[in-house]
Amino acid sequence: MAAQEYDVLIIGSGASGGMAAHTLTKQGVKCLMLDAGPLVDFSRQRVQKQAYELPYRGFGEPGKLPHVAQANEFNANQWVDEKEVPYTYDPSMPFNWVRVRMIGGKSLFWARMSFRLSDYEFKAKDHDGFGENWPIDHAELAPFYSRVEPIFRVSGRREGWKQLPDGEFIEDTAPWSESMNRFIAQASRREIGITKMRRSLGRGQFASSFNLLLPDAMDTGNLTIVPNAVVRELTVDRNTGLVNGANFVDRHSKREMHAKARVVVLGASCLESTRILLNSRIANSSGALGHYFHDQTYVTQGVVAIDRESKGNQSGRAGGYAPRFVNLKRGREEDFIRGYAFDFNLAGTPDAKYIPAYGEDLDKKLAEYRGRAASVTIMGEVLARYENFVRVDPNVTDAFGIPVLHFECRYGDNEAKMLKHAMNTFDELCRASNFETLAKHDQPWPPGYSIHELGTCRMGDDPKKSVLNKWNQSHDVKNLFVVDGSSFVTGGYQNPTMTILALSMRASEYLMEQMKVRAI
Amino acid sequence: MKRRNFFRTLAAAPAAPALLGQQRRTAAQDGAAPEDPKLAVSVADAAADPMPRFFNAAQYAALEKLSETVMPGAVEAGAAAFLDFLIGRSDEARRNVYIAGLDGLNARGFASLASLNKPWTFEEPADPVERFLRVAKADIRMATLNSAANSAGKRFAGSGLYWYPLG
Repeated sequence: MAAQEYDVLIIGSGASGGMAAHTLTKQGVKCLMLDAGPLVDFSRQRVQKQAYELPYRGFGEPGKLPHVAQANEFNANQWVDEKEVPYTYDPSMPFNWVRVRMIGGKSLFWARMSFRLSDYEFKAKDHDGFGENWPIDHAELAPFYSRVEPIFRVSGRREGWKQLPDGEFIEDTAPWSESMNRFIAQASRREIGITKMRRSLGRGQFASSFNLLLPDAMDTGNLTIVPNAVVRELTVDRNTGLVNGANFVDRHSKREMHAKARVVVLGASCLESTRILLNSRIANSSGALGHYFHDQTYVTQGVVAIDRESKGNQSGRAGGYAPRFVNLKRGREEDFIRGYAFDFNLAGTPDAKYIPAYGEDLDKKLAEYRGRAASVTIMGEVLARYENFVRVDPNVTDAFGIPVLHFECRYGDNEAKMLKHAMNTFDELCRASNFETLAKHDQPWPPGYSIHELGTCRMGDDPKKSVLNKWNQSHDVKNLFVVDGSSFVTGGYQNPTMTILALSMRASEYLMEQMKVRAI
Repeated sequence: MKRRNFFRTLAAAPAAPALLGQQRRTAAQDGAAPEDPKLAVSVADAAADPMPRFFNAAQYAALEKLSETVMPGAVEAGAAAFLDFLIGRSDEARRNVYIAGLDGLNARGFASLASLNKPWTFEEPADPVERFLRVAKADIRMATLNSAANSAGKRFAGSGLYWYPLG
């Protein structure tokens, strides 16, 4: 028998669910949080090992996690097993769906890149005519970004660039390396701005809801967390049409349970939230649920080049970030719209495969190139298209008996042209900075690789074209909020976590106001 | 295969479960409570010989010769034997790359290694020996660097935080 009555049921303990809990519990709202995964004791769950102690010497068990490029033999057990929670797609449209199920979710492992979206994203349609505008702009979300950034302790350097708004930073004053100064000189000739990486420092070993949001929420006495609770669907009161809770399955025993609350906040991560709504068959009068999927299109090691001048032992910061520098003055300056970022380093060691040698010659060359290699990850904006979508696959269920998602997502011409431009631009910058290119390419990973799933439950002012309103509230079901990346209209090139946190905080405060006046 | 006395300390292990049917001794019964022993066990690769099962004799001989040519120290590291194990367990595509490559290498001779001196391209080579040599170069290097034999060497050896399965 439930110990108490709950005001809000929060589904998901990651960045979005964690921020909802943090915001609501501090104002006295009684919350029940369900998460599909366990609470992990990190000191007992992990142990330092040498690669030769692993069964496959670090190669990983063949066939395990084929869609998780980020998996290796050390971390294989931290990712959701594809056999336990499968998904389907047509072989012509591969998708890499990367998931984590434990208290804290993906916020335990993210790369911590912390950016704001700009009005180039919030008002993208005004700028180039494609897609839709968000129903909000940067000015409306700015106060929430400003409250999120200090919690996560974002380090960065203020630049005053419209396409990458500055935040509340711990100012990064570290000097650049000599190579970087040379590179920046060439970049600024081409009006390409390079800044310090903006990164959540967090506290201790984590920058996660696990250590930055949930403990404070628990201290209020208003939060109950139930791990190992796999939500199947939301339940609806037939008389009112409002949601009144969720059916879930215990992860270990498969026992079926029901959790009740006055309001439901979904923060199960973009595609899991949409999956729950699709399986619940609610909130979709617009027909937009599942559609307009987008992420960011990633090319890793797009250019690998060797610095002719460096001896490989420079001091100073050798890694930098170049935000979008194209299509700023006008919507279409190039043969593609929107833009991309460079996340790059100039002082690495190239992978042996790029060096045309073997045996002792290869060892010599590796020693010669150590600390002198430039490498870039290109992160391109993906257009949010109706045709890129997920639906439920009625023929396949997961280990918990819950119907899985079927994906139909592919990149298009705009992404291809953008990535070619990016590769050529970085290559040219390298040559101008006296680097010698070893290899270059513009082929992205499959959709999903970025682990920045966005859209499929987008917000908008028009209930015919969107699932949520500007407050992350369902147009159809007033006591249902969806606060994760599924609410995005368009994602830009920027990593989405700061925006997800800000939206969740803002939606939660609006929700509280609505509850106070009994509108919900 | 060189046998070597090699020990490593057992790293912090999860607490041992209580043994059924035995009373737990209290600290009072023991005086100062003794710690459980930390046995420094070895690994199979350091004390025993692998038994290759997948490649035929000619393929295996070519792989062993190739491994030492591509990465000095590969034989001591047991790289060929390890790859026999790994590739034998891998999917059909990967197995076929190795089989076609090793058969081709035996047919054409080790002059084929010249293709490893060509600049890198992201397109996969059409020629099966070239395609195999690219993959084998990376696999042999990793199998050697991550071996117990290499652990005492100067080259970087892989290590990291290993995740136990979630409870």
